[in-house]
Amino acid sequence: MTNELRFDTREEVDFAIIGSGSAGGILAKELSTAGFKVVVLEQGPYRKAGDFTHDELAVRVRAELHGGGNDIHGQTFRHDESETATKPSTPPVRYARTVGGSSVHFTANFWRLRPVDFKERSLLGPIAGTNFADWPISYEELEPYYTKVDWDIGVSGAPGPFDAPRSRPFPMPPMPIKSSGVLLERGAAKLGLHAQPEPHAILSQPHNGRAGCISCGYCMWYGCEAGAKSSTLATMIPRAEASGNCEIRPESVVIRIDTDDKGRANQVVYLDADGNEQAQKAKAVVLSANGAESARLLLMSANAQHPDGLANSSGFVGRNLMHNAHAGVNAVYEHPLNDYKGVQVSRIVHDFYETDQSRGFYGGGGIDARPLFSATPIFQAQRGMDPTVPRWGKKFKETIAHDFTRQMSIVASTTSLALDSNNITLDPESKDAWGRPAIRETYRDHPDDLETMAFLEDRCAELADAAGALKSWRLGIHLTTGGEHLLGTCRMGNDPASSVVDSKHRSHDIPNLFICDGSSMVTSGRGQPTMTIMALAFRAADHIIAAARAGDI
Amino acid sequence: MEDRKIRSRRRFLQSTGSLTGAAYLRLLGPGLIAVTEAACTAKQAESPFKVLGRDEAGDLAAIAARIIPTTDTPGAAEAGVIHFFDNAFATEMSGQLDGARAGLAEFNAALAAAHPGGGRFADLSEDEQDAFLRSQESGTLFGLAWTMTMFGFFSMEKYGGNKDHIGWELIGFEGHHGGWQYPFGYYDAELHGETNRDK
Repeated sequence: MTNELRFDTREEVDFAIIGSGSAGGILAKELSTAGFKVVVLEQGPYRKAGDFTHDELAVRVRAELHGGGNDIHGQTFRHDESETATKPSTPPVRYARTVGGSSVHFTANFWRLRPVDFKERSLLGPIAGTNFADWPISYEELEPYYTKVDWDIGVSGAPGPFDAPRSRPFPMPPMPIKSSGVLLERGAAKLGLHAQPEPHAILSQPHNGRAGCISCGYCMWYGCEAGAKSSTLATMIPRAEASGNCEIRPESVVIRIDTDDKGRANQVVYLDADGNEQAQKAKAVVLSANGAESARLLLMSANAQHPDGLANSSGFVGRNLMHNAHAGVNAVYEHPLNDYKGVQVSRIVHDFYETDQSRGFYGGGGIDARPLFSATPIFQAQRGMDPTVPRWGKKFKETIAHDFTRQMSIVASTTSLALDSNNITLDPESKDAWGRPAIRETYRDHPDDLETMAFLEDRCAELADAAGALKSWRLGIHLTTGGEHLLGTCRMGNDPASSVVDSKHRSHDIPNLFICDGSSMVTSGRGQPTMTIMALAFRAADHIIAAARAGDI
Repeated sequence: MEDRKIRSRRRFLQSTGSLTGAAYLRLLGPGLIAVTEAACTAKQAESPFKVLGRDEAGDLAAIAARIIPTTDTPGAAEAGVIHFFDNAFATEMSGQLDGARAGLAEFNAALAAAHPGGGRFADLSEDEQDAFLRSQESGTLFGLAWTMTMFGFFSMEKYGGNKDHIGWELIGFEGHHGGWQYPFGYYDAELHGETNRDK
């Protein structure tokens, strides 16, 4: 079973891929099965399905899959340049450091973008003070790759009334409806809205030799011990290794990409598991480290030829960070939902997806019902409780005993606008545990993003009540202070002055450096970006393979 | 080891084809187990602690027992939350032991001022304990004690607390069972019932 292939670092492989997550795992599989020699450098360890647990203290609280808390990562945050960034106890940007990356621990809600997402700027006009732009590709160009994700990665679902057109049906039916989904359907029906089944990157039945979901309920933040979550660890990495052309090299913490005197990338320098510096030579480099790490690494790789960082002649590396904002309510119902069982989300409402200019602001979102806090006990105790109830004592105990199984959240995920002032930079002082300059996030939601959140919070509250809530409370509109969706920081575009990569993910500045992950996205979508990141990766792979075969790298 | 685990899971998957009836029974939940044995509290008092002194353990256990009190159902005392404190301070949270001790000293100084000659926290009446604890909510110790009580009551038993899954049973969480078959809750069961009738 174990893949024994080991490349010598001095041997020039065809591709060094940095990151093994949603994009890196797919690129590893596609490039290696096409016959290219590939080394994947992953900063986290190589955990397998049998290593994943239901241990809330270790996984959610101590952030085991994140590689620990912010004492390790040293990340800092500020809302704008006028503030001095401070180091919160929880890292502002959160992702899994493990083979398979965040596709291992994500919730696996899996939406395609719609045609409108790629051309909103043309349809709606400019938004002053933002970098709101069309994508250089259309939905129609990406559609075959969404379908490839459906079938190769494994997606459960059923068509909804507002879905983008698809060239093939879902390969398997949706996950079973939960009580939260039934209640959302009831609320939606009363309000004249349309609840539809949530698509998941989770197998509702056996597919491609993998077992179906056992509905254990540990999707969000946990790795799937059944292998039913369609992470790249479960789907792509084994096929990459089976090709005989791919080495997954875990615990390899990349510190820079070097360029030669012709301005081409020639090696990736990293710290191995023992902390020793190594350099992997490669004909080309694919950077898929996520929207925060990819930007950091390009900025860290500044050299005499590229004083502002690699691929950064536009100055757009790290800019336009988009998180997708959130809003919602908690609600308690008469009977037990036991919503901790099964996947988080079984029904969604996408009636408010598109921008409605009569509202007076840009933006839209998707609404779902899920346990959220009441998925696990400690989270419920810490964050999920009715705020009118004392935090301890008899009443606290009675309330958590009653509400835990009867509570759900109705949550909206929303658009975020691309802004110069929302970005990833290198913290001038803070370092991570490997001595790398820590990620500094600067982020303040655009006023339209906040209006979208407030608008959708109202809709969530209406849905909770229409579904018959005994009591409900709003989670409140808060400025975003970090997130898991790391989008836009190396955006794709045709103009090298306002984008980092071209429409085929090749960096404008360095011909043998490709960047593909959430950073490629031009607009944020409405949340749940992983499906798009995976489709982009399959598409990028086709273009990279074609270029390599044509001797054009 | 890993292969065996995966194989046994596969067998489990194959064997869960049709469990609707049993799943519905599970849905109703085991209810709260009536824990009437006083044995667990007795065991706690005798148990040697790894890092906590006897008075420290007594104070923290008494605080935890007011945060999640014993009522008609077991609370932090019966769940052995103090053993979570002790284990955590001996391992992952060892860096916070000094802070906790400083917080306890502060707590006890305030206690002595509020109840001169009143003995330790555990010696007060429950009402007195609650009143004093409310006065300490912004103190150094309370936040840490609150968080550790939640961890100790609701984390896996292997960390020392949540004895016999007392914390999970209280709230109807069967997190130790592994996988599930729908229906999961009242409303989806109701829907499936309706759907079945329609057919």
